[in-house]
Amino acid sequence: MRYRTHLKLLPQVLLLALFWLVGEGVVRLTHLPLPGSIVGMFLLLGGLLFGAVPLRAVKGGAYLLLAEMLLFFIPAVLVVLDHGEFLGITGLKILILVLVSTMLVMASTGMTVQWLSDRQHRRASTNASH
Amino acid sequence: MHPTDPLPRAALWATLTIAIYAGNRALYRRHRAWWLSPILAGPALLCLLAVALRTSYRSYLYGTHWLVALLGPVTVAFAIPIYEHRRLIRESWKLLAAGIVVGCIVSVVSSWLLADLFHLNESIKLSLLPRSMSTPFAMAVSRSIGGAPDLTAVFTAMTGVLGVAVGEGLLYWLPIRSTFARGALFGMGAHGAGVAKAQHLGSEEASSAGLVMVLVGLSNVLIAPWLAKVLHWIRPS
Repeated sequence: MRYRTHLKLLPQVLLLALFWLVGEGVVRLTHLPLPGSIVGMFLLLGGLLFGAVPLRAVKGGAYLLLAEMLLFFIPAVLVVLDHGEFLGITGLKILILVLVSTMLVMASTGMTVQWLSDRQHRRASTNASH
Repeated sequence: MHPTDPLPRAALWATLTIAIYAGNRALYRRHRAWWLSPILAGPALLCLLAVALRTSYRSYLYGTHWLVALLGPVTVAFAIPIYEHRRLIRESWKLLAAGIVVGCIVSVVSSWLLADLFHLNESIKLSLLPRSMSTPFAMAVSRSIGGAPDLTAVFTAMTGVLGVAVGEGLLYWLPIRSTFARGALFGMGAHGAGVAKAQHLGSEEASSAGLVMVLVGLSNVLIAPWLAKVLHWIRPS
């Protein structure tokens, strides 16, 4: 059942792949310092905004790819096979680094957004009371 | 045909990768244990199999690199969430931009300083910098600043798993009440895994997390060529 719906989305996935290939082509011709996939993304976004590409022609395929994204980078994760040192002290250092840095990133981002939205609310309410 | 011939071997590893991923996903949907996450359990099993069958990363990748190439169309697909959230972007661009700029600076600077403190080598250090964003973007940034994209994929996966694990604790201890800020915390800190987590908190958290994740990736890919120049200037090699 699920596989039949997946198969129906194949033309949409191919359309997304076409945007990617065109993006790669543009980068090769213009030597833009960007990955072709990003150029393809901007082309598709432009197509959607200017009504050249209807949303329903790509939406299902796009969400399918985004939902199954993990599969596409699992092969890259297996690079750990070449890094036996990750099982020892180097791995522990990396683990601590990622943990500490991620906690700092989350705390600072959350606090910044909270502080700014508090300020916006305060300004909105003082304007309303005048 | 012998199983050590390159072609059957390639087909074997591609099939194993897809089958283990599909099985892992089905299992994770039933039992939501963190160690069953498809970015942890499946790859760990594949690693054990590769070690058992004495397969090197090189020959494993020979059969599966086409899967990684499909990250191209995945990146294009990010246009759809951006398009669908265009109103939220217009309304909240100040909050989004502030959260993203602060998050990215804290991520890059803290990774850099800790890597120096721990004496990690240059390749690992550069690959650690673009860790806090969705994998296709992280790998692209890594390539352009001179890191190793596949190492970055490993560190990005670690970030997602750890970020989800500590995120709830942080929300408990910090005075972060707005749904938008709570979503931004997960989207910035734990990218895709964080967005999945934010979906359990609520729909507003989910859309701010998703939007932050996409915009972080995009803005980093756009500034990466300049970041590469700054890094080269700090540390001429």
